[in-house]
Amino acid sequence: MSETRPSFVRKYLALTKASMMESLAFRTSIFVTILGNLVYLIMIYFLWQAIYASSPTPIVNGMTFYDTMVYLVLAAAMFNFLECFIVWSLGRDFQSGQIVVSLTKPIDYQVFTFFAVLGQYIMAFLTTFLPTFIIVCLMTKGGVPLGINLIFLVISMVFSVIINFCVDFFVGVICFYTQSIWGINVMKEVVVALLSGAAIPLAFFPAVLRKIIRFLPFHAIYNTPLQILTDESLTLTNYLEMLINQVFWVVLMIGITRIFWNASKKFITVNGG
Amino acid sequence: MEKQNKSLKKGLRFYMHLYRMILIQDLKSKMSYRADFIISTIGMILTNLSGFAAFWILFRNFPSIKGWSYHEILFLYGFSLLAITPVQCFFDNNWSIYRMVYTGDFIKYCFRPVNLFFYFISEVFDIKGVGQFIFGVGVLAYAWNKLRIPCTPIYLFVLLMSVLSASLFMISLMNLAAATGFWIMGSAYVMIFAFKFKDYARYPITIFNPVFRFIFTFIIPIAFVAYYPSLFLVRADEVPLLTYLSPILGIMFFYLSYKVWMKGAMSYSGTGS
Repeated sequence: MSETRPSFVRKYLALTKASMMESLAFRTSIFVTILGNLVYLIMIYFLWQAIYASSPTPIVNGMTFYDTMVYLVLAAAMFNFLECFIVWSLGRDFQSGQIVVSLTKPIDYQVFTFFAVLGQYIMAFLTTFLPTFIIVCLMTKGGVPLGINLIFLVISMVFSVIINFCVDFFVGVICFYTQSIWGINVMKEVVVALLSGAAIPLAFFPAVLRKIIRFLPFHAIYNTPLQILTDESLTLTNYLEMLINQVFWVVLMIGITRIFWNASKKFITVNGG
Repeated sequence: MEKQNKSLKKGLRFYMHLYRMILIQDLKSKMSYRADFIISTIGMILTNLSGFAAFWILFRNFPSIKGWSYHEILFLYGFSLLAITPVQCFFDNNWSIYRMVYTGDFIKYCFRPVNLFFYFISEVFDIKGVGQFIFGVGVLAYAWNKLRIPCTPIYLFVLLMSVLSASLFMISLMNLAAATGFWIMGSAYVMIFAFKFKDYARYPITIFNPVFRFIFTFIIPIAFVAYYPSLFLVRADEVPLLTYLSPILGIMFFYLSYKVWMKGAMSYSGTGS
């Protein structure tokens, strides 16, 4: 530990690399996930086609069937790419006591977890989001505006990953107190899926609900990048506004999780001796 | 195999007695984690509330889907909740197969002089399915009332029979998905994939085009989880042959899934330690 201390970046990127390799070991699961997504896309397609066919007007809440489809397909792709089961692995770490091993290492546990999961995020991005995105672009033949918004999309998605990680980490730490992983995780999952607009576009929500959602971090995970990608009417100021809004959530969520984690860490020491 | 055959002869009464004994032990151990039980129940209720919210938001924007009114779809929704109760309550241990195969814990089930499938499945009773059941009853009762379906003993008997046969399809689907765990490492993905089908089973199969209607009826039979069995009650004037056949098909499908599951379990060779 004394003579060769690896640099901060080297130290943590090694974790990322390891987790990328680990994801690659489960190639069948990648295949099943891609196949599964395809089946869901088919179901979503037919469901919304039937829904729009029953509607008296082709445009509902400013969205055509086509807009809704592009939005939902990409939302599903994002949802799959951002789900890395952090709550489960944290919860198990706490329950089995494995956490003690991690705490004795000369690294920050939260940063450690982030970089360890980062590899999974990268692999999931390459195997689920990117292929879906390319297929959508090809199938809609220019329906997705490709231009300056792509740069903002990339920045926005990095923020999404961080906010999403913080939400997961926060929920994971709650498991330490409750001894319940399933219940806590399922609450997080349904709340995020509904309030982020991943299941139904936020444009369809009643005005009151939309106002409440503005005060929650979930829309910054899915809705912001998707809007940046699909909404052609946005100006440069809109983009910057949206990104600033995300930065606000990033800072706030990191702050909250740091405080919560540091407080909980003390509790662990007291508890475990 | 010799032992297996002998145990099958032990008869229904023996197995019912055994199930009760195991159930009591399981409930006792669950009671010691009261917080987990309460949180899981809240999580289950929240899942259903958010599912219902998504449903409600959708129908705020669209009056009907393919000629199916709000109350009719609500009936399917409530029906599907009842139909997935058995799989949630009694077959929840299937979710542990992939982990038990990985750690080698599965081997303990292979040495008992009772039916392997029975012993494995009976080990866990998932109480949180009860909350879902109650929610489903509420939704179904509301839709039942609004649709003015007569509430006579005959109708209730038809409901019971159709819910039972519908539940067989979901159980079989999850058995097959769980059985992949014997051959594929880390097959949680297959389970998640199969379990998501329940969210789409609550829409009338008529929304799909003929090709997918065929696939979702005969290959991945999710049309039987709510649509076909409930037609007896929702649309009594246009009952197709498949509705009448659903109990028999359900039993056949369950038997098939049982055989596949057992074949997988028999091919399991432990971790070698």
